[in-house]
Amino acid sequence: MWRNLLGLRQISQRTISTAPRRQLENRVAEKQKLFQEDNGIPVHLKGGLMDALLYRLTMGLTVFGTAYVIYELCVASMPKKQK
Amino acid sequence: MAHQAHSYHMVDPSPWPILGAAAALLTTSGLAMWFHYHSTQLLALGLLSMLLIMLQWWRDIVRESTFQGHHTPAVQKGLRYGMILFITSEAFFFLGFFWAFFHSSLVPTPELGGQWPPTGISPLNPLEVPLLNTAILLASGVTVTWAHHSITEANQKQAIHALTLTILLGFYFTALQATEYYEAPFSIADGVYGSTFFVATGFHGLHVIIGSSFLLVCLLRLAKFHFTSHHHFGFEAAAWYWHFVDIIWLFLYTTIYWWGS
Repeated sequence: MWRNLLGLRQISQRTISTAPRRQLENRVAEKQKLFQEDNGIPVHLKGGLMDALLYRLTMGLTVFGTAYVIYELCVASMPKKQK
Repeated sequence: MAHQAHSYHMVDPSPWPILGAAAALLTTSGLAMWFHYHSTQLLALGLLSMLLIMLQWWRDIVRESTFQGHHTPAVQKGLRYGMILFITSEAFFFLGFFWAFFHSSLVPTPELGGQWPPTGISPLNPLEVPLLNTAILLASGVTVTWAHHSITEANQKQAIHALTLTILLGFYFTALQATEYYEAPFSIADGVYGSTFFVATGFHGLHVIIGSSFLLVCLLRLAKFHFTSHHHFGFEAAAWYWHFVDIIWLFLYTTIYWWGS
């Protein structure tokens, strides 16, 4: 939970650009600064709130799916009831 | 902050490897559920989780390299070995399907009419769309090399043009193959001819789609200035994979389409 709060802090520090959209600007330096900040956050969460949300979604789906597989395996392993 | 006294990359703890393994479990179990119980939910869940994990894992690798600078020359050398070994394993994968093709086509059984193509099969004319597809992939090999040269010469605009053209050629190939599949007078169920044709060309088509996606990601990164003229391994890996896909097609074309017709 602390890591999520730290992530929120990182977002508030980003600057908003009003540059024209014809060609993308070189924003690599900003990204480098964000991801090299010495805050102990692992790389898969270091980008901010979206990282945490995406991680939770992925974890949720995968854990649910794994449980479902084990359930279906149990069902498939049981003999079908004869009349 | 502790600094390392070596030039290798000790990665942060990450959930993607184990979640990736779980996603593979879901996908394979999903296939079994689909084949035996006609249910596609698990397969869909497996493919979705696989997609999410691939996106996040590779996103993290871009962060570790371009934004955190962990890809030293030593690390890059390891990545090069890794990509070459992976492509080699894919070559062996296709070798199996070519083996199957030659096993059945060099000694056609009496059930096939003792001939190849088997009795009743009208193969596609190799000088029509398949020849066009060959030209398209060869041209895309030229354009991806052009893109590489543009990157090493730090010509951003030309690199974007060349890479975009490569991707468009890849899409054109896929679209043409899709129409060929739709119009073909034979199907995968048409004996061993149908099996060998559609499994070999089908897996190739899947690899074209994978390669095009890899190149597309490289285009996005190129546009965002991730690559330098001296360090752009992600692009090189994509280009190697693309050349591999092209070479496999050349083998497919000369053996299955041409010799086999």
